[in-house]
Amino acid sequence: MSKVLYCFILTASAFFLFTEAYAQLNRYNTFKLEKDNRQVRINSIFKNNQGYLFVGTDNGLYKFDGIKYTRIPFINTEFNDTVTAIFQDRTNKMWIGFRSGRIANIINNKLQYFNPEEGTPQKKITSFLQDSEGNLWFSAQGEGLYCLKQNRLYLINTDDGLSDNNVSKIILADNDEILAGTDQGINVCTFKNGKKNISVIGPQDGLPDYIVTTIINAGKNSFWIGLQDNGFCLYDRSRNKITIPKPAEAWKFGQINAMLQAQNILWIATQKNGFYKYSALDNSLNKAPESEVANNINALLEDDQGNLWLSSPGNGLVRSPGESLKLIPIPGSPPFEHIHTILCDRNGNIWLTNKANELIRFSVTNGNTTEKKLHLNGITEKTDITSLYQDLYGNIWVGSMGKGIYIVNPETFKYRVLTENSLFINSGILSINGNENTVFCSSLSGAMVVELQPENKDIFNNYRFTNYDNKSTGTNYIYSIFKDSRNRIWFATDGKGLTMLSNDRFTYYNNLDQIKDNRIYSITEDRKGNIWFSTSNAGIYKFDGKSFVNFGINEGISNLNISVLKTDNAGNIIVVHKTGLDILNPESGNISYISSGQGLSEINAQDIGAVTKDTAGNIMLSTVAGILTYSGQPNILQRPVTLIESVQLFLKDIKDTASHVFSHDENNFTFNYTGLYYTDPEKIYYKYKLEGFDTNWVITNDRTKNFPKLGPGSYTFRIQSALNRNFKNAHEATYSFTIKQAFYKTWWFVLICLLAVASLLYLYIKNREKELKKIESLRQEKIQFQFEVLRNQINPHFLFNSFNTLISAIEDEPHQAVEYAEHLSAFFRNVVNQRDKDLITLNDEINHLYSYIFIQERRYGEWLMMDILISEEQKKIFHIPPLSLQLLLENAIKHNAVSKETPLHIRISVTEDNYLSIRNNKNAKSGKEKGAGMGLQNIISRYKLLTDKPVTVINDKQYFIVLLPLLN
Amino acid sequence: MPKSFLIFFLIFNGLIHSEGVAQKVFSTNKGSISFRSDAPLELITASSNEMLGRVDIEKKIFAFIIKINSFVGFNSPLQREHFNENYLETTQFPTASFTGKIIEDIDFSVDGTYTIRAKGSLSVHGVVQERIIKSDVIVKKGLISIKSEFTVLLADHNIAIPKVVHEKLASEIKVEVKADLTSS
Repeated sequence: MSKVLYCFILTASAFFLFTEAYAQLNRYNTFKLEKDNRQVRINSIFKNNQGYLFVGTDNGLYKFDGIKYTRIPFINTEFNDTVTAIFQDRTNKMWIGFRSGRIANIINNKLQYFNPEEGTPQKKITSFLQDSEGNLWFSAQGEGLYCLKQNRLYLINTDDGLSDNNVSKIILADNDEILAGTDQGINVCTFKNGKKNISVIGPQDGLPDYIVTTIINAGKNSFWIGLQDNGFCLYDRSRNKITIPKPAEAWKFGQINAMLQAQNILWIATQKNGFYKYSALDNSLNKAPESEVANNINALLEDDQGNLWLSSPGNGLVRSPGESLKLIPIPGSPPFEHIHTILCDRNGNIWLTNKANELIRFSVTNGNTTEKKLHLNGITEKTDITSLYQDLYGNIWVGSMGKGIYIVNPETFKYRVLTENSLFINSGILSINGNENTVFCSSLSGAMVVELQPENKDIFNNYRFTNYDNKSTGTNYIYSIFKDSRNRIWFATDGKGLTMLSNDRFTYYNNLDQIKDNRIYSITEDRKGNIWFSTSNAGIYKFDGKSFVNFGINEGISNLNISVLKTDNAGNIIVVHKTGLDILNPESGNISYISSGQGLSEINAQDIGAVTKDTAGNIMLSTVAGILTYSGQPNILQRPVTLIESVQLFLKDIKDTASHVFSHDENNFTFNYTGLYYTDPEKIYYKYKLEGFDTNWVITNDRTKNFPKLGPGSYTFRIQSALNRNFKNAHEATYSFTIKQAFYKTWWFVLICLLAVASLLYLYIKNREKELKKIESLRQEKIQFQFEVLRNQINPHFLFNSFNTLISAIEDEPHQAVEYAEHLSAFFRNVVNQRDKDLITLNDEINHLYSYIFIQERRYGEWLMMDILISEEQKKIFHIPPLSLQLLLENAIKHNAVSKETPLHIRISVTEDNYLSIRNNKNAKSGKEKGAGMGLQNIISRYKLLTDKPVTVINDKQYFIVLLPLLN
Repeated sequence: MPKSFLIFFLIFNGLIHSEGVAQKVFSTNKGSISFRSDAPLELITASSNEMLGRVDIEKKIFAFIIKINSFVGFNSPLQREHFNENYLETTQFPTASFTGKIIEDIDFSVDGTYTIRAKGSLSVHGVVQERIIKSDVIVKKGLISIKSEFTVLLADHNIAIPKVVHEKLASEIKVEVKADLTSS
């Protein structure tokens, strides 16, 4: 954009007025606030104690960080209200007043209505204040003023003697007096011990108008009063005196909307007739250039960096550097890119050259500019004028490139060429400067120091000079010469470093003294007497007499192509380069910047003479768009204020009041932060470190940082912001928090778990041991059983009886004998085969039993009766331990007499609840056989190992019954 | 006749006669008023239906007055006795009153529901405090119904609470007023 315009200027120089307007516009930044493509009307601006700007609008409240507006919603998002007043009390609580008369506070970043028992006003809230006792006061247009005292609301209105209920503004004066501006003058109110006291200051006291629209503090218990019709005045409350400044006497600009005292200026915004600045120093009132961008300004504010903020219904917020960066109105002036040098003389006239290299003097008096032109003989449009200097006697020294030095009498405009020093005849002058009665000239052929004598008031008298060349200064090429406060003369040489002349002795400082670049351009001195100089490409150096400290890109210098150093009247070192000014505070090392972001056009920075100081000591710059002055302000905060705007847990805001202790799964943190710096908010660098997590600082431009999975521990998020990568004096904000250990990682929980595992292991081992024992005893029982069975079968009685039966059978029925022997053999085979098994089917057992029964039937014949009442299916399903049935049968035969008189009747059946019932009638033998009960006991033991179901033995008078559980 | 009653009648009777337009003044003599002391150990409520009230809807001024000894409904007769003799000292200060002016500019001759605030002097126990009291007002067919709730701090009115009954008496008493005023 600027390049395009630049070309435009070259081709169409008739549009100078337009370029001037352009240059002015460029110094202001507008920040429109739109909703649904419509401009939102701003009613008030407020700066909180952190320096944050809040904007009250028809669409509620916004905060503004210099880049974007963030709306602060109501807790109930459906609410909306027109904000008319904003305030922060001493406990940092924010108070927001609305057109509806309601009042809200900001709680956890949301607006919440304040609901006193007394009800809220019904009319527009116009302003707030807090008195020294901490009572909150607010005014309502049409109701008077309210005081919130110990949670009770009091109203002061016409019934109490207030001159009018339309209160436009309240302000605190000394002794807790409240000044209330009304439609009927100023009311001075006090409310102490339940007593209201009101006195009225009106036209009868010298107030020029009834209707007071605004009141601002002017210091020393004095106040600027803005009026509806008759301008403004100063009210000194202590002396109860009204003073009307001269420019306000015949006020013709109508209603005053807002006033601001900043930069030694009273800024006055009128309703319809633009924006004015009143300077009490010279009692002057001038239209402020900002009038062109902001109409109907209704609120004014100065931020912590000294910028002016204006709110206008049509343009949103407008930022202006105000007086700190000011364009000098020079109408019809030459294209400024040709200017190599400018000078502001002691009368405030500005000297510069036009395209033809004619010398022009501009005088600005009472806003009118007059110019006077001087053509210097010998100077053509090809001979650049490189330097301008006004000496002790007011004469103007003009240095040219190739035509030497001209000296001009500014009164008569007579001039001559300096010819007495042959070295300077037709030489190329690089710079002319000096102090008091000394003038320094440096050229491409050497340097001279001129000591002015009283006769040199007249330029036509000869000058006394001393020449310095390569023999003394080390080189003939000297860019500039500087005399410090201790009368030492410093030479900035081309390639030979810095040369210092003190008491006729030369001292040389160069790359042997840690200076990286021996091409020195410009020298200045700070208030402590340190020498500062710039080099062609190694930045600037500070020399305290002992060592050199370099300031380069890492220290915050924005551009190493530095042409001039100056010390401004605030004591800062101004580093001038093509793209702007770096303002270095020599005490802190902090650097702030004035560049295109503040509306600075390209500086004619290749020229050492393109920067000078005006009569007030302000830095005056020649830029492609015009001559600007920069006035440094000593007490302005030129570093960003770091704020943590919100801390989020899983992207949801953590409430301000919430504790900073989190559980183990609350571990996703997001920090949103801002470095508040309204001069150039986009340029902020951030440096963060999460202590307890990061070991190093991280530099970023992002304004948000997320930590997704933090482990338990204590953390502190530290965030700093700075204008460059040098964070030496950066402001820091922190947020400390703790994430608790998960309960399953705490020592007690681990201990409990270990104990539980140990006891489970113990139980398992115990159980297994028991199991093994059981298996072992089962095995034992089985062996015992097998032994019992075998012993029974090879019981001599059984064998003896069997063999007797066999013998008798062989004799009588040899055929049956064979069958008998076969059964006997099968019986023994079964015993041998089945003894190792745990379970066999009922079927197998019964088949085995048939062999046994066959053998026994041969012996007892029909006296032994067997009934087996078991279905084929049951035989297949059920299992029992092998040989158990046979053993029980054997027992029955063994323990009972079996004879014709006493037949033995054995019945085997399955009960309904799946027991095998073995029942025999009782006919006990007289003597007990040996080993009696062993077999049954053995069966019971075996069953115990196999099932929970018990073996039941029923021994009544008639029957002996054994119930064996059947196993599937 | 107690002093505050005198003021009451002076204001209004004088007014009515001088104005001579009765419709501008609405009044009641049976407005109800109740209070509630919600202390940790005891809840005390009492009420009276003998509140006198007058509102001049043109001048937006009003007066309400109540005889303290007309409050009934205490937890015990002894409590009522203490209330009258020890705390509010009824013989010395027989009435409580609230007189003042309505802040909002509302036309009460038009039917409707309004929320208004009244600024005035609340006199209890002989101590006058300036107060703003919010009320809901319904105007319907010549009847003005007023309902309001507010709190009275005992300390504001020099009503001392002996330490013994501290837990039985709230320092902040909630008061509720309801009154239907007619012009007659």
